[in-house]
Amino acid sequence: MSDVVEKTLTALPSLLSLDSQPGSTKLSSTSKLGTLIRGITELTSKHEEEKLIQRELTSIKEQVSSPNTSMRQMKELMVRAIYCEMLGYEAAFSYIHAIKLAQQGTALEKRVGYLAVSLFLNESHELLLLLVNTVLKDLQSTNLIEVCMALTVVSQIFPKDMIPAILPLVEEKLNHPKEIIRRKAVLALYKFYLIAPNQVQHIHNKFRKALCDKDPGVMTASLHIYLQMIQENPEGYKDLTASFVTIMKQVVGGKLPMDFNYHSVPAPWLQIQLLRILSLLGKNDQSTSEIMYEVLDESLRRAEMNHNITYAILYECVKCIYTIHPKSELLEKAAKCIGNFVLSPKINLKYLGLKALTYVVQQDPKLALQHQMTIIECLDHPDLIIKRETLELLFRITNAQNVTVIVEKMLEFLRINKDDYTTIDLVGKVAELAEKYP
Amino acid sequence: MPTGRVCFRVALGSSFRQRGNTVLLFKMQFMLLFSRQGKLRLQKWYVPLSDKEKKKITRELVQTVLARKPKMCSFLEWRDLKVVYKRYASLYFCCAIEDQDNELITLEIIHRYVELLDKYFGSVCELDIIFNFEKAYFILDEFLLGGEAQETSKKNVLKAIEQADLLQEPRHEYFNVPMY
Repeated sequence: MSDVVEKTLTALPSLLSLDSQPGSTKLSSTSKLGTLIRGITELTSKHEEEKLIQRELTSIKEQVSSPNTSMRQMKELMVRAIYCEMLGYEAAFSYIHAIKLAQQGTALEKRVGYLAVSLFLNESHELLLLLVNTVLKDLQSTNLIEVCMALTVVSQIFPKDMIPAILPLVEEKLNHPKEIIRRKAVLALYKFYLIAPNQVQHIHNKFRKALCDKDPGVMTASLHIYLQMIQENPEGYKDLTASFVTIMKQVVGGKLPMDFNYHSVPAPWLQIQLLRILSLLGKNDQSTSEIMYEVLDESLRRAEMNHNITYAILYECVKCIYTIHPKSELLEKAAKCIGNFVLSPKINLKYLGLKALTYVVQQDPKLALQHQMTIIECLDHPDLIIKRETLELLFRITNAQNVTVIVEKMLEFLRINKDDYTTIDLVGKVAELAEKYP
Repeated sequence: MPTGRVCFRVALGSSFRQRGNTVLLFKMQFMLLFSRQGKLRLQKWYVPLSDKEKKKITRELVQTVLARKPKMCSFLEWRDLKVVYKRYASLYFCCAIEDQDNELITLEIIHRYVELLDKYFGSVCELDIIFNFEKAYFILDEFLLGGEAQETSKKNVLKAIEQADLLQEPRHEYFNVPMY
């Protein structure tokens, strides 16, 4: 504990000095929250911490129930309540006040109120209904920040039964001139789709409009909904394949504004969403798959840089190539990619390579054979996770010749493994193999 | 003997990890930030769980991650989830994702979040997050809404937070004066 106190105390002078940038104004540590936090770090036992927090909670409880507490004070009280809950102590008395704060507070107070609500409550909480009126009011506010806050909280937590009340307001935000509002409106609709799909049946054409939105952020947001819908019904969206391919081409070709680059990679999360959508659309469908070959090839070619995110995209690309209707040139390149991963000295990549091999091994058993030596090396890797993944792979390529060796390795692993879930899983696999190859 | 074996198999059946299914619901289950002493600094849950379960998960997971050695893989399997973690200075960032999900993407989501925090606080350190955790939540919610990574320019995320910050907060609030 003491070195934490040391660090806290030495950092205090810099905290106390004012930071003149508006974005990063730091809260003074002589505020009540600061005092509480310092108090906790100085304690040495759990018992003392409990006592301190209980005292704190009693004091907060008194203050929130008092009619003289201003909204500004309430905001500060809510932050402390959130902190106490984070440490594991229950502060249910503050929930109603969080809603009140969101309702009655001005912008900053409202923001903390909404945050507290999203952290305290869950979907089935009875107090959630009280939030609806506040959200309805804020959605119609002329202050855009309040509209944003309302949309953010709706995307996180909202009672299913009240969706019809709020749906028209959210829908109209889809046409808002500001991209941030359009984007948040799309995300709110995504949330509605997840919890009550039949409520948003009638607005699918609006999703199409979002897909064609000139702002890439809004368009990416609409992809969440599409991924979900396509997963449930791929046939219904095959006609959009060409659009998705076009978008992907533009992204990979660097046509998006530079802002969307992440470590020189254009819009990686967007690329990944698109790759997943394309996998779903191209699966078991030759004609649809043919539309995407070119862009997949382009993706593979362009991703030559050395950064984790590039590898992440490559992994998705490889998975996509193996899921859709096969094309030999692409498969070759993908196989090479997997090979690079497995042979990489970077442990995270090796893991990903093994995972990819496990995924493709049913379609292409020769690939695993090609990398036998590396796989065998991985079996003796000091990191248990790599070992575990290797065993998973071996389980897939078990045949009558190598079953004894593989089961032996599994048993060896079981002896050193301490995690219950893994043990159960592996034992099951051993049992399965024992039955298959008596 | 045969009956015994069948029971054993049935009991195991439910906990077989389903590999090879193309489950594409890539949703983050939760994100935890904690110090090297295991003190929780931030917790965001994207799935409904009871408070008791949350506490149990937090406690167990923190222990498991803290026991990992530096050269090991950034991913670990824990119960039926994958956990992706990375340590930045004295703070562990820990996310749980579905088994089938792409771990490397999650690692980059963590990194992106750290970059945003860094830009906002100006060379962020653990103390910034401790004393201003509500700001850390605001930033997280802009970037990871409902557990899904939003593709927006870094500029847009920070602009959204800063615009809200500038509202009505008179400067004297942050002087060395206790609230009351």
